[in-house]
Amino acid sequence: MKKLTIVAGVMLVFVFVWERVDVVRLGYQIERLKVQKILLERERDQLQVKFSALTAPERIAKVATEKLGLVPPQQGQVLMVHQPGETPNLSVPPAEQIRLARHVPTGRVSE
Amino acid sequence: MTVGPSRGRRYVMLLLLLCGFGIILFRLVTLQVLQAAELTAKADRQHQKTVSFEGARGMVSDRHGKVLAMNVEVPSVFGVPTSLESPSTVARHLSPVLHIRSGELERKLRQDKSFVWLARKVEPEQGRRLEQLSLDGIGMVMEGRRFYPKGPLLAHVLGFSGMDGQGLEGLERRYDSHLHGEKRVTVLQRDALGRTVFPKGLSEQVPTPGHALTLTVDEVIQYIAEKELEEAVTHTRARSGTIIVMEPQSGAILAMAVSPRFDPNVVAALTPDRWRNRALTDTYEPGSTMKVVVAAAALEEKVMTPGSMVFGENGHMVIANTTIHDHEKLGWMTFSEVIQKSSNIGAAKTGMVLGEQRFYRYLQAFGFGQRTEIDLPGEVSGLLKAPKDWGRRSLASISMGQEVGVTPLQMVSAVATLANGGVMMKPYVVSEVRDHKGRLLKEVLPQVKRRVVSPDTARTMTTMLEGVITDGTGAKAAIPGFRVAGKTGTAQKIDSRTGAYSSTQFVGSFLGYVPAESPRMAMIVVIDEPQGEAWGGAVAAPVFRRVGEQVLNYLGVSREDTVKIALATKDY
Repeated sequence: MKKLTIVAGVMLVFVFVWERVDVVRLGYQIERLKVQKILLERERDQLQVKFSALTAPERIAKVATEKLGLVPPQQGQVLMVHQPGETPNLSVPPAEQIRLARHVPTGRVSE
Repeated sequence: MTVGPSRGRRYVMLLLLLCGFGIILFRLVTLQVLQAAELTAKADRQHQKTVSFEGARGMVSDRHGKVLAMNVEVPSVFGVPTSLESPSTVARHLSPVLHIRSGELERKLRQDKSFVWLARKVEPEQGRRLEQLSLDGIGMVMEGRRFYPKGPLLAHVLGFSGMDGQGLEGLERRYDSHLHGEKRVTVLQRDALGRTVFPKGLSEQVPTPGHALTLTVDEVIQYIAEKELEEAVTHTRARSGTIIVMEPQSGAILAMAVSPRFDPNVVAALTPDRWRNRALTDTYEPGSTMKVVVAAAALEEKVMTPGSMVFGENGHMVIANTTIHDHEKLGWMTFSEVIQKSSNIGAAKTGMVLGEQRFYRYLQAFGFGQRTEIDLPGEVSGLLKAPKDWGRRSLASISMGQEVGVTPLQMVSAVATLANGGVMMKPYVVSEVRDHKGRLLKEVLPQVKRRVVSPDTARTMTTMLEGVITDGTGAKAAIPGFRVAGKTGTAQKIDSRTGAYSSTQFVGSFLGYVPAESPRMAMIVVIDEPQGEAWGGAVAAPVFRRVGEQVLNYLGVSREDTVKIALATKDY
């Protein structure tokens, strides 16, 4: 019984020490991962800026006209095709958002 | 019997022990109580590191999420002069990498300081090259740098931010409180080798980035407007130019182009004159485009109908001892023809029929003499005198767009009111503000300012303004397949030397909306001081046509003459 208690005590000490060491080890690991995350985020941001610059309409138009020899569509070359019932993508505010205007009596300026 | 130390020696030893303990106790009290705070701080300094973090500035994107401005972390280079053995050698190595003269770098490195900035926010590639050099006494820290990846696109609206991340112009300034990231000081633990272990309170380490803005602007429409404006300004050798494209139903700005352009990535060498947003900071006398307002007021007040007859006085009319001229000899004409032919005399007579007070009320109702309250900095209210300050000729002059100062934004807002059935909307450029996690913080909904004229008046005005394109001065604004409503304007500028109207300096403009029956956009084109032919119908109307045609194509608006195609679907 006495031996068992001593072994258990030693085990507990080992677990405690192991836990402390592991906390420190994990701390370093977290730091490394955080640095890695920061570097990856930085690279992502740089790539996003690059992507954004490369897709600028000005650049695309330049490449299309000067490099690929394309020209803007001439009159009659653009044909709009709408499916029945399809409405154009117009960002008109919904009726409730302009109800103020609708409730203002038609007539003369009242300022 | 052993003889012990004498009583006297025992006392001496006891005294010495007491003294020893007393000294230790005194030292302990000194260290643990009296100097406790100071020593604790000293210990903290040795094993803790305090770092100041600033969250990245928020992103700005167009209505489709295309990035227009964002922050990227880039290296800033510093030197520690006190630890350098040969500043001249280090400066020679640094010079080709940083693109700074060797002498200037050496001067900085010879200063009696422990820290000097050598170059802030350099390109990432320069940082990589510097790392390879591995120079003692030279270090780098990462700082957020603002990038405008589209270059000059929308620069006058976006503005720019300063070296320390504060918004200085445009949206960057107006929305600085939203855009700037949170500043936070964090304490990091260091081990015996000085390495960072992990912070106290892990969640507190990363400061919150700034909020992101979504604009109402469409980058493609903006590009079309800027491209055509640049071409027009270059072609006419004009001093400057402005185009605003607005959605009449909401007041959302789709494009706001100003020429000459500038690149917000490189503003150090520019003057404020270059980055001023002329669309809302500069006033001009609108000339004949103001006839739209006088005509709408006359129709609303029922003092005129489109068929009312007006005598053109054969091109000359004397008012208050000054003569008003038309550009051609006009006799009797309908009120519609007054607008189509842009008769100054017809407009002056209309203004006089309205009377000072009534006309002034409509000028105010259409937004002149007051800010539109757009969410951009620097807007001016323009110049509109109260009737008590008007001279004998003022009523006639204002009716034909003189003696009044307006901004292009006020003018497009006024014509958009007619396009929107007589309801004036508040113009705006930011539609959404979101936090760094994408959560919606603020949504800007279209805001009605007031009803200015009745739907009937707006419809009648549309018909009259269509006549300007089909039979009047705005023929060059015609877009095949679409009904266009608009008005030309040509205003003489005041010669700053003589104080009189110049015979060589003009502002040519065109404002209108399309398609007239169901407007998708209202637009103004202003060309300041074009050389050669300066008529608004000649210099600005063709720009309206070119921009309008491309934008309508881009928006997928069908032409009137388009054959409707029904797509057949088959169920299997």
